[in-house]
Amino acid sequence: MTVVVQGLTYRYRRDGPAVIKNINFRIAQGEIVAVTGLSGCGKSTLCNCLCGIIPHCQGGEMSGEVLINGKNTRQFKIASLALQVGMVFQNPDTQLFSPTVEDEIAFAPENMCLEPEFIRERVDNVLALLEINEFREANPCQLSGGEKQLVALAAVLALDPPVLILDEVMSQLDSGSQKKVAAVLEKLHKQGKTIIMVEHDLETVAFTDRLMVINDGEIVRFERTESLLADRDFLTASQLLFDDDQSMNKWRTVNALSGVEPSKLFLSTTK
Amino acid sequence: MPFLELSQVSYFYPQQSKSALTEIDINFDNEGITAIIGPNGSGKTTLTKLLVGILQPTAGEIRLKGRRLQEYSLAEIGRRIGYIFQNPDQQLFCTTVNEEIGFGLIHQGGEPEAVREKVDFYLEYFELTAYRNVFPLHLSKGEKQRLALAAILANEPEFLILDEPTVGLDAYRKKLLAEYLRKLARLNRGMIIVSHDLNFVMKVADRIIGLEKGQICWDSLQEGNTGHEA
Amino acid sequence: MVIVLCLSTLALIYNTPGRLLLLLAGTVILLLILRLKLGEFLGYIRKFLPLFIFLLLVQSIFTRGGEVLLTMGTVPLITTKGLELGISVVLRMMVVIASAVLLTTSNSRDIVLGMVHWKFPYEIAFMFSVSLRFLPTFREELSNVITAVQLRGVELKKVPWGRKIALYRCLFFPVAYGAIEKAQQLSIAMETRGFRAYPQRTYLRKLQFGSKDYVLSLLFPVATLMLILLQI
Repeated sequence: MTVVVQGLTYRYRRDGPAVIKNINFRIAQGEIVAVTGLSGCGKSTLCNCLCGIIPHCQGGEMSGEVLINGKNTRQFKIASLALQVGMVFQNPDTQLFSPTVEDEIAFAPENMCLEPEFIRERVDNVLALLEINEFREANPCQLSGGEKQLVALAAVLALDPPVLILDEVMSQLDSGSQKKVAAVLEKLHKQGKTIIMVEHDLETVAFTDRLMVINDGEIVRFERTESLLADRDFLTASQLLFDDDQSMNKWRTVNALSGVEPSKLFLSTTK
Repeated sequence: MPFLELSQVSYFYPQQSKSALTEIDINFDNEGITAIIGPNGSGKTTLTKLLVGILQPTAGEIRLKGRRLQEYSLAEIGRRIGYIFQNPDQQLFCTTVNEEIGFGLIHQGGEPEAVREKVDFYLEYFELTAYRNVFPLHLSKGEKQRLALAAILANEPEFLILDEPTVGLDAYRKKLLAEYLRKLARLNRGMIIVSHDLNFVMKVADRIIGLEKGQICWDSLQEGNTGHEA
Repeated sequence: MVIVLCLSTLALIYNTPGRLLLLLAGTVILLLILRLKLGEFLGYIRKFLPLFIFLLLVQSIFTRGGEVLLTMGTVPLITTKGLELGISVVLRMMVVIASAVLLTTSNSRDIVLGMVHWKFPYEIAFMFSVSLRFLPTFREELSNVITAVQLRGVELKKVPWGRKIALYRCLFFPVAYGAIEKAQQLSIAMETRGFRAYPQRTYLRKLQFGSKDYVLSLLFPVATLMLILLQI
């Protein structure tokens, strides 16, 4: 599944300023790409364009084309794009609506008219993949922020779309869950899925193939993650680094009830 | 005397068998920045809700300045402790940024002139002057957060509790937030920050408390204790 | 079972004064039979109590007719007719609340399944169940805002009534705005997960409709109709 964006420009109002300015890129099938940039630079708007919310559900003016495996998003309803593109939104509260986690995950495959036995299998698989089986019967509303985010991801994975778009899904997760999600994404990546993830924290995207930096609606850099992350000067200049000058070393454990270093604290809670 | 004292505090959510917090014993002084860290669902938010009296502990006792927390009304606690919700949308309820900041003051019977002066000060301080007549829910996440901080600080609480203040902020805004918080700490206000963002916490906190499965598993002070270089 | 609940609500709204008490008793019994939490119902009643009393007073005072029970100077204050109307209004509200409890306590999944079973378009079934599901969320959001107001140092209990109403009124707008915004985002999220991709959809679970359920769901509209006819 390739994702091709040609000459994409978007304004909220016809006479307003462009939020996205003539963006062009091509993401090959099976690539995993991270998108970063300061708040308000147009990352989320780009996501909305990629999954068809723009132009279908949101007003404003879009020019240029988005092609998902050759299919133009203009010509397909959002719901019919769902089999191609899965989108996980920033705020889990506005995407969970079912009485139980199981129903939430079953919702998408039910829409695709799959057989109940098949849906059950999907639900089981996804719950196992994200290791959230314990929440199966829980009410999504009563979970914590990070747990909700995992459920939202699970609900989208249930459709098994070849292209995944994740809008800041890591932001609410603790580092244990972040590692877990990263591992899941890598696994999906190996299965040949195309993944586009928007993230602020560059540490969480180190495992991706390419990194796109957007500033004020334009692509500033788009290259191999490894080499871009190595360019500290550029990242610092673009205000993208929350530099940690080894601040961990300044810490000593005074009252170590469990005797672990801060860095290990989270690792120990992963499992 | 510690500002907040918790002794043997436990909390169970109704209709859930698992306890959210078990037998927490901890004190908070009214100085420096204390961070509470822990994985998702470890009870961080629950703990802060207990501290400001939104939830009542199932067992144990919380004391605020030596007096039992139940003896205060929510408004009395609110005047002493400023609480920033995890989702700032939940605490912005006015129609303009101006009103939002002045809300507490006006409803506590402040003089309009004095209130306006203070509002102007906080607008300036948090770089919100340009948005003074904007509808708060139309602001970006970072701006909402600053507004929530401004609105809370305008009440001049002695102590601050922030629940996950870094979620959704980019690196630049995170840095700004860290600076604001350090600035506030220098004004001799105690603070609790709940976060899962270890990097951020390491940068700003004087004391870090680790929470896991509803229990404190870790408590440490920074070297040199309170004296934090700017 | 679900349909029974919907219909009982309908039935209740159509009814008139004196019989309301009977009806209320019936609904409460229904609640008990279905092993639903009566406590929740009582809790709601308690919350609405000030409103009830207010309504009772307004109705009693502003409705004229019947025997005069209490006068203030020369103005008849409370009349039998007014009292009767007041009581019936309150009772009616209680019945509506009771049936609302019936609805909200049944699982929203069952409501969807039930409605689809009765050939409702699934879009409508979902709209209905999602909005039902968001009633508690909306209430929670309101109480969050009220907590937030208090935490800003405002003693709500001490604010005089007039100011309080003005305060609530200005709080309502942002909360409603937030709810609308949320609803919009939610519908987009549903659509990106393929909602309405096809005219039909499948369901993971099946609702078991026993003969008992059919009998009940037939019985209720019939009984309602009868009662309405009797009334005329």
